[in-house]
Amino acid sequence: MKKEILNFKVNGTPYEIEVEPQMTLNEVLREQLNLTGTKISCAEGECGACTVLVDGKPELSCSMLALAARDKDITTIEGLAKDGELHKIQKGFIEKGAIQCGFCSPGMMLMIKALLDENPNPTKEEITAYIAGNLCRCTGYVKIIDAAKAAAEA
Amino acid sequence: MNKEFTAVGKRITQKDVVLKATGEAIFVPDVKLQGQLWGKILHSKYAHAKFTIDKTRALALPGVVCVITYEDTPKIPYCRSFRDMPMTASGQLQHSDEFILADKARFVGDPIAAVAAVDEKTAEAAIELLEADVKYEVLPFVIDPRDALKPGAPVIHDYSPNNNPVNSTPPPWLAIGDLEKGFAESDLVVEDNFYCSRQIQSHLETQSCCATVDSNNKITVYSPNQLAHPFRRELGKMFNHPVGKINVVTPYVGGSFGCRLSCHTEPICVMLALKTRKPVKLVNSKEEDFTTIDARTPHYLHAKLGLKKDGTLHAMELNVTTWGGGYVSRAMLAGGIMLIWGLGHYRCPNMNGSCKLAYTNTPLGGAMRGFGNPEVMWGIDQLMDRACVELGLDPVEMTLKNTKHAGETCNTGLPIESTYIDDCINEGAKAIGWKEKRGKNKGGTKTLKRGVGMSTMTHCSGAWPLLLEHSGAIIKFNEDGSANLIINPGSPGTHIYGSLSQVAAEVLGISVDDIYVVAGETEKTLFDLGSHASRSMYVTGHAVRIAAEEARKELLAYAAKMLAETPDDLDIKDGQVFVKANPGKKISVAKVSATAIYGARGDGHTISGKGCFVPHHNSPPTAAYFAEVEVDTETGVTKVLNFVSAVDCGKAINPMTVEGQCEGGVQQGLGYGLTEDYVFNPATGATATGNFTTYKIPGAPDMPLETKIIIIDKPDPKGPFGAKGVGEPGLVGIAPAIMNAIHDAVGVRVTDLPIKPEAILKALKEKASK
Amino acid sequence: MFRTLKPFEYLEPKSLEEATGALSKCGTEAKVYAAGVDLVPRMRKRIIAPKCIVNLQRIDEMDDVIASNKDGARIGALASLRSIELSALIKERYFVLHEAIASIASIQVKTQGTAVGNLCVATPASDVAPALFVLDAKIKAVGPSGERLIPIDEFYLGVGKTVLGPNEIITEILLPKAPANTGGGFAKLVRTVSDIAKVNAAAELTMEKGVCKEVRIAVGSVAPTVLRMKKAEDVLRGNKIDQNLIEKAASAAADAVKPITDIRSTAEYRKDTTKVLVKRVLEKALERTKA
Repeated sequence: MKKEILNFKVNGTPYEIEVEPQMTLNEVLREQLNLTGTKISCAEGECGACTVLVDGKPELSCSMLALAARDKDITTIEGLAKDGELHKIQKGFIEKGAIQCGFCSPGMMLMIKALLDENPNPTKEEITAYIAGNLCRCTGYVKIIDAAKAAAEA
Repeated sequence: MNKEFTAVGKRITQKDVVLKATGEAIFVPDVKLQGQLWGKILHSKYAHAKFTIDKTRALALPGVVCVITYEDTPKIPYCRSFRDMPMTASGQLQHSDEFILADKARFVGDPIAAVAAVDEKTAEAAIELLEADVKYEVLPFVIDPRDALKPGAPVIHDYSPNNNPVNSTPPPWLAIGDLEKGFAESDLVVEDNFYCSRQIQSHLETQSCCATVDSNNKITVYSPNQLAHPFRRELGKMFNHPVGKINVVTPYVGGSFGCRLSCHTEPICVMLALKTRKPVKLVNSKEEDFTTIDARTPHYLHAKLGLKKDGTLHAMELNVTTWGGGYVSRAMLAGGIMLIWGLGHYRCPNMNGSCKLAYTNTPLGGAMRGFGNPEVMWGIDQLMDRACVELGLDPVEMTLKNTKHAGETCNTGLPIESTYIDDCINEGAKAIGWKEKRGKNKGGTKTLKRGVGMSTMTHCSGAWPLLLEHSGAIIKFNEDGSANLIINPGSPGTHIYGSLSQVAAEVLGISVDDIYVVAGETEKTLFDLGSHASRSMYVTGHAVRIAAEEARKELLAYAAKMLAETPDDLDIKDGQVFVKANPGKKISVAKVSATAIYGARGDGHTISGKGCFVPHHNSPPTAAYFAEVEVDTETGVTKVLNFVSAVDCGKAINPMTVEGQCEGGVQQGLGYGLTEDYVFNPATGATATGNFTTYKIPGAPDMPLETKIIIIDKPDPKGPFGAKGVGEPGLVGIAPAIMNAIHDAVGVRVTDLPIKPEAILKALKEKASK
Repeated sequence: MFRTLKPFEYLEPKSLEEATGALSKCGTEAKVYAAGVDLVPRMRKRIIAPKCIVNLQRIDEMDDVIASNKDGARIGALASLRSIELSALIKERYFVLHEAIASIASIQVKTQGTAVGNLCVATPASDVAPALFVLDAKIKAVGPSGERLIPIDEFYLGVGKTVLGPNEIITEILLPKAPANTGGGFAKLVRTVSDIAKVNAAAELTMEKGVCKEVRIAVGSVAPTVLRMKKAEDVLRGNKIDQNLIEKAASAAADAVKPITDIRSTAEYRKDTTKVLVKRVLEKALERTKA
């Protein structure tokens, strides 16, 4: 199949790359751009491990064709820290013990980023509801919620 | 040790967590090797079938490098959960009944062929061609173990014509007294049949592997396996390959909970690498994980308890039928270990039991967190609660009557080193508000009824004396006074590197920040059995302690020379070696280490230490669990409002890690109890719940509104710095505590896991019609 | 079992004419792409294998605007579920739709996915559909021969099947104006919050002096399509509403459904809880007519 040109921004960097139309955004990020911080698990939109921000909003890179990201601004976990300084959400996750195996963490942290951008002072209930589409098998979500609170207060 | 700890007991963060926070941490699916091919597996679509495969079309597809079937494999049977970890009590080995690719399909999902191709898309296209080119001869199949054990059932393995490869009985210390007499002497006998369900570990990182073979014939395998050294040995046997020429590399692992105890796609991936002489990467889809890995072994349990009027347990009988799967793997141990947990927990003078294992045409039974303990307590603690209700006793008080104490015989047959289970029960009951809430529908309404329930458990710290135990560790000082801790316990997200660093730092008198862990390669580390049976803190912890003590001795000896003192007069604190009687006289660890390494006087020496450890004791962690639920009597839906886990894990080396383990355990236990339901299609034997859309694990809003973890934090006499295991205890008693709370709320109970609203509503209707 | 998608031809039309033309040419081999939430996983699993994907996101005439108009309100076909959920207009005037979308747990699915996409999947477990049923929504579809309006309760034919032709594209959802003293409610039962419904129900009720002037009730996951509960509505319409009548209507709803047993639930449970949910959504709706 014919390759198509994809112009988009990832973590602020503009890219012009050739992609095969059947490639998902997840595949392009992981395999073509080597941004393997974005994970993939269920590949059907149920676990949230593949979450990235598309123009600042959380979406599922497993269920999106890469070409649908044309002209969009994508943020992956690699784009959260700036100039070597960890983002306050990353600090919160590290300090509160919210990361165990770490496989859900990139998606989780990007969700918290989207949440705090929408709602800088969320309640425990609002955080809980906001991460409903992100499965974690290690933490019972307790310390993830603590970390989100800590990041909001930081 | 009487002095105040500087590292142990602190809430520190393991260093590599930072890499997980930034996305830098490399998991197996992230590994990229130069010139790598992609592998893909063809799975049987029938539960039981012979087959022939025409490879022609797949091989002709541009980009396909090789296609393999059973004929291409070494045909050396293996056991995916490593048969060389014998039950030391019986000497019994796990059966080697599996080939790298199947000679006959024994379940839907059984790997029957594999391809390697230039990219994943081409490998998948080749699999689609192969799929169309398989000729199956479909055989009769059997799903349920009770059917598999009936005469005339389809034979799954020729060597086992009755599908019953093994039966187990309890070890001698648990087959005691006289059952018949015990029940006859009891004032109350309660019994029931329970179904302990197939729970999927639901780790997020799908099973993956990368394998390469170099021109020296050295095989390197990137695998999430958490028993790396035994895995290497199994690979050596499988391929008749010297283990010295095999390196198992374990990068970051995206969750295990038991699934990484076995090898899954690795043998196939290595086979493809050997055939193509190129690196091969093979990543499962989540559906492949659900349908091919060995999940928590399901069982049918018949449990019977006899009690005296005052609630004293007098007789217990457990009979188990174990659902093995197409190959037995760890299911072979599953029933036996269930008897050990179940019969070993409470004090009881008359006990016995049995276990029958059946081959079935289903995916394998394996181990998941707790391995048999959550299963057996699902039955026992429901019966205990039932007995309390019938005898008019309070479960808290009745449980306290039956708990064992230090010195009594533990589940493993060894004396209990320490147990603070009574503290767990008392503290947990207080935290949930037991007295105010039990039997009172406190805060409930006519249709939203509330109740509280409890459960308890005893587990293990490592598998001694039931299974092989052995861990090793090395400490190596660097010239800046930091030290490398070289270990390989497997780290599927348990923060064990951090906790072990705390042990090393405590012994060495340096900061945890100055301990750098080197791990994850079998060729660079001493033997460590790996991570299972809640053993790493307890067993590897001791190996680290010994290694650190040895390094400390070397350090003090060298420092003594430099300070012109004797080693016994020195101590280390905050990275400084000082004279105990004259703390002002000191020298930094960095200076000692650097001087030693760059020994300009010709006495160069790397300060180091090695520790190998086999425990000949087993300190059991214990715990009590309390649930407060609200049941909607119109829909049967249960909401867990509050959950309290009180754990006695000895000294908590890192309380934050202990909490994390237990909080995660609540999620898994809640799923086991309420939502996770693995279903087979009875017409085909195929898995009907093969991904997270159909198999539901709890999300954040499904969790209790409040989860409280109470750490008793009293040191054990035998554990390193008093620590016991804590990995598995987190989820053991969650489901029975919830069920007992539901009963307290609405007066009905169910015996099959998970507790579905459908079953509760039905039971409520039946109760109302009585 | 697969991880990659099979190759296909990718088209990105700029106009509806171009899009419907492309769909006419490719016929049943083509699928439209609006967000991918449902489509991409089904392609990965080889449930469908379209030869051609027509991306609707860059068509000039398509939009994601949610706005009131003289007849009520309209929702552009590209509007995400999340934007509808958060819309003040929807929350204020079509609360049942807000409540239904709010019950969908995954923020990502709602941010990426569209309401129209949700309808086109034609799952009987859709949460959006029952809400639109009781709001008496209409769907505007454009094909090569022009546009047509489809009442929502005539839209579905069965599981995965709608009346939409292979070359028709939905451009908007139209919601009629709600009369005064109208309230709605939605409820569902699930295994976990992120699961699709075992049973769901929606009701929209208009009251006048204690008498039910108009009512619509819909139930999902109990039949191959979402169902209007007309017999239950008849119990209420024109009558003074009290708890007794609500119970009667709920029983009529339960009598009207013939659900199946599957991995999510049993036929018996679905029937039993249809009654409970219909009762609960009617109670909520009644309460909200007073607001």
